[in-house]
Amino acid sequence: MTETFQPRIVGFLCNWCSYAGADGAGIARFQYPPNVTVIRVMCSGRVSPEMVIRAFREGADGVIVLGCHIGDCHYISGNHRTAKRIPMLQNLLGYVGIDPRRLRLDWVSSAEGPKLARVVDEFVAAIRGLGPAGYRALAAVPEGALQGARQHGA
Amino acid sequence: MEPEIRGQLGAAVEEALSRLDGVLALKQQPVGSAPHLYQRDEELDLLALEPRYPMALVLDRLLDSFPEARLGVVARGCDEWALTELAKRHQVDLERVEIIGVACSHEQAVECRCAEPYPSTISVGVQAEGVEDALVAEHRRLSLEERDAFWSRQFAKCVKCYGCRNICPVCYCPACALEDEIWVERGLMAPPFPSLHLVRAMHMVGRCIGCKECELACPADIPLPILYTLMRQDAAELWGYLPGKSVEDQPPLLVTL
Repeated sequence: MTETFQPRIVGFLCNWCSYAGADGAGIARFQYPPNVTVIRVMCSGRVSPEMVIRAFREGADGVIVLGCHIGDCHYISGNHRTAKRIPMLQNLLGYVGIDPRRLRLDWVSSAEGPKLARVVDEFVAAIRGLGPAGYRALAAVPEGALQGARQHGA
Repeated sequence: MEPEIRGQLGAAVEEALSRLDGVLALKQQPVGSAPHLYQRDEELDLLALEPRYPMALVLDRLLDSFPEARLGVVARGCDEWALTELAKRHQVDLERVEIIGVACSHEQAVECRCAEPYPSTISVGVQAEGVEDALVAEHRRLSLEERDAFWSRQFAKCVKCYGCRNICPVCYCPACALEDEIWVERGLMAPPFPSLHLVRAMHMVGRCIGCKECELACPADIPLPILYTLMRQDAAELWGYLPGKSVEDQPPLLVTL
């Protein structure tokens, strides 16, 4: 069963570094697993804990946040906040019994296509090892429960 | 209340009333007691210290209602820390507030699992020794599976009454993420995935002063302070940040590295 398990992963990539890095990886034809659904954000500091929690709530097996290296932020200090917020959220996930390894933060510059491929590769392998998140009672959510939210364009 | 404590409390309130427009303290009612804004020349016979009330929350509202007034407040340690956090976030003007600090007894500290049951300046009572929160220490020893089982059971009891938020002295946002359908779905109970509790816990980082009012308010007895205290300990370890200690200390998640 675990051999056919395909992790569903949500990736939040910063517009200026990591998303460009992913572009670079594509252009250079680096192979990496296609399990990550990329959401482009203007800054990794834009990724609020609510967004990560919502991704898990919608059934993600893992969430990866990629931003500019510290010092390279297009908005000077946006990623400083990410650097504090995500480790705190990892701790919280651990405290309520969700493996904190399901959330990963890393820094990928626009020139680091190979690093992006490696980080995603590692993360997909790690989530594959952890298995499906299998959140409790997710199946019990009636169809359209978050309909209003979708209409908001979230 | 012991006669000695009653004497100290009465004297402190009377002295403060001679200079201020009012003092917020508890007043005995036919049944129990409730917060009351004492004014000059008012009888102080019915002053009370029990039970606990989130005095910072009440004071915040009073200061909004009387924008010119300077008010005193009979505050426990946790009330003082809450006021500090509110002042830091520009919700309360401490220039208009005078704190009459009350030290809790050791028995009260045990009841609240409170490590520091006294304010920075004590006007009433004597400093007693606090206790470590045994539930938090115990939680740290649990495995991931045990934590999952524990919190699944706890969160399943949630009736989404928002009592934990409403009673919280450091929650003040007019637009609350917990009421935003983008983050917390409507019409489902208990929340199928604990978005509500996780979002709230993240919002408590650098803010929760550990008064445990949320636990007292919860009709389902969910021990939320365990989660918030774990996060507070982490913030102290990572960034040396202790909520409620100084208006100058900026909350770690709101500032740069």
